[in-house]
Amino acid sequence: MAGLELKSLYKSYGNVEVIKGVDLSVTHGEFVVFVGPSGCGKSTLLRMIAGLEDISGGELWIGDTLCNDVEPRDRGIAMVFQSYALYPHMTVYDNVGFGLKLAKTPKDVRDRKIRDAARILQMEHLLDRKPGQLSGGQRQRVAIGRAIVRQPEVFLFDEPLSNLDAALRVDMRMELSRLHQDLGATMIYVTHDQVEAMTLADKIVVLNGGVVQQVGTPIELYQRPANIFVAGFIGSPKMNFITVSVEALGEGSVTIAGPDLAPMTMAGSGAGLKLGDTLTLGIRPHALVEQPSGAVAGRVALVERLGNETNVSVDLPSGVPLLAVLDGDRQLTVGQQIAFAFAPESVVFFDGEGRATPL
Amino acid sequence: MTLIRNYWLSAVAILVSILVFLVPFAFIILMTFKEQRQAALLDFSWPMGNALWGNIVEVVTTRNWMLVTAFVNSTILTVVSVTLLVVFGAMVGFVLQRRKTRFNGLIEFLILAGLMLPPAVVPTIWLLQGMGLFGRLHGLILIEVAYGLPFTILLYRAFIATIPRDLDEAAIIDGARPFDVFFRIVLPLLWPVTVTNIVVQSVAIFNDFTNPLYYLPGNANATVQLTLYNFQSQFSTSYNLLFTNIALITIPPLLVFLFFNRQIVAGMTAGAVKG
Repeated sequence: MAGLELKSLYKSYGNVEVIKGVDLSVTHGEFVVFVGPSGCGKSTLLRMIAGLEDISGGELWIGDTLCNDVEPRDRGIAMVFQSYALYPHMTVYDNVGFGLKLAKTPKDVRDRKIRDAARILQMEHLLDRKPGQLSGGQRQRVAIGRAIVRQPEVFLFDEPLSNLDAALRVDMRMELSRLHQDLGATMIYVTHDQVEAMTLADKIVVLNGGVVQQVGTPIELYQRPANIFVAGFIGSPKMNFITVSVEALGEGSVTIAGPDLAPMTMAGSGAGLKLGDTLTLGIRPHALVEQPSGAVAGRVALVERLGNETNVSVDLPSGVPLLAVLDGDRQLTVGQQIAFAFAPESVVFFDGEGRATPL
Repeated sequence: MTLIRNYWLSAVAILVSILVFLVPFAFIILMTFKEQRQAALLDFSWPMGNALWGNIVEVVTTRNWMLVTAFVNSTILTVVSVTLLVVFGAMVGFVLQRRKTRFNGLIEFLILAGLMLPPAVVPTIWLLQGMGLFGRLHGLILIEVAYGLPFTILLYRAFIATIPRDLDEAAIIDGARPFDVFFRIVLPLLWPVTVTNIVVQSVAIFNDFTNPLYYLPGNANATVQLTLYNFQSQFSTSYNLLFTNIALITIPPLLVFLFFNRQIVAGMTAGAVKG
């Protein structure tokens, strides 16, 4: 049983801070996904947990052990690399058994464990081959097999699917999910692909610039993003942002309007708001519905017809683009006027500093 | 006619190669069959009679079987020196390529200095005498390692850069200690360069004449190249024996080259140093 506890973890290279105080706790058996744009520090954080990068400050607890200065081999972790990192001069059998051999596991035990792992991953027929003779998906399996035989408390995945083609990626994603259920181990998974994050995770950690932006279940992050960054990062296509200002404050209602939004009255306490405050309204493309009297109107700039749905890019009066995903196939012409309505509860507001705020 | 027009340059090239490489070799072989009087003429003639066996016996038994001692010495010298060169060269190259410190610049300068500075013989002898290594085989082994190391390191370092660092890290996660990472992962993957190093260095060390001459005096310490002096003197030289000696000591480097030449090709076709 091993959870994971990160207490204000810092990492700096010289004067450059890349991880700026990360606090996180992971319970045993959770599937946690670190997600963020490139250079946000997610891989560095993973490598710090693995022990491949020194920790500049803070504490890392794996289970009940303070692991800041523990060697990687004693941390009870296994890692799968983006490049698979298979040893090219060894057969698959030796690749998988390398860790056991180093740990001086008796030969018969080693053989049993390697064959068990091969059976779980359905790669028994590959054991005698060298990595050079395997396809991308097969190499990925071997890399995972190498992690499984060590029976680690925590699995670490560093963008393991990013070198696979799209179809294989979907298969491997499901397989990882199944593996997590079968093994019941804690898994930490780094990716920049938010679909992987949404589908695999029990808990998503969104990172940006070395700071945790939000931690929560995928649906929490989708429906109640903590700030503009998370709102824009999670969900595809991206959330639309429209600048609005507070026009009137009533009893239990707030009226907002802006250059791109006809005045709208919404339920809300209005606590902390003043007349004339500027807010950012966030609305997902899927929440927009075409309606001639709708509050948001503009000119169609681009139409993508996918058959089951239609992506419409609209130029709003202030020049801001807006993307709407409409159900079914719509025949729209570029340049025509279009208006959208949306349900008040599908909207998120952000204050001037980008934090989510209730009306 | 077109045949001549298309291939005359190739034909010339082949003829020149034969002249440059095979004629001297043929001369050596012919000389080994001649008896002393004909050999002294130093001409390119067919041997009268067959004195090969007599020449070989004479060469091997001269000065109390000195050639045998020399072969033993040279073999020990070559095998030990090349082994040390491969291990140390790969280690230095590995650390230098993987670990960036502020000393790297200095170390690289020292390596280049080792290639460029001419060896100073007298101070080296003085140093060896001080350490009690002068005139002993292990002293000469250290000398050969020191002279060969810079070149070996340069070869290795360039190649280690092509081995992905992920492999080291995967091995560390798998529980490998630094020596495991080096000997079980990195060194096996360096095989193509190791072969190059073995061929280049063993031929150079086995054929080395000056260093054994300076640092390893004494009959019991002779190496193969020094045995050539057994048959030359100021007033008379037994050319048949000299060339027989040359032919005998050329065989081992030739074998090394032929054997590893195949290995290089095999290594390249097995290929796939691919993450």
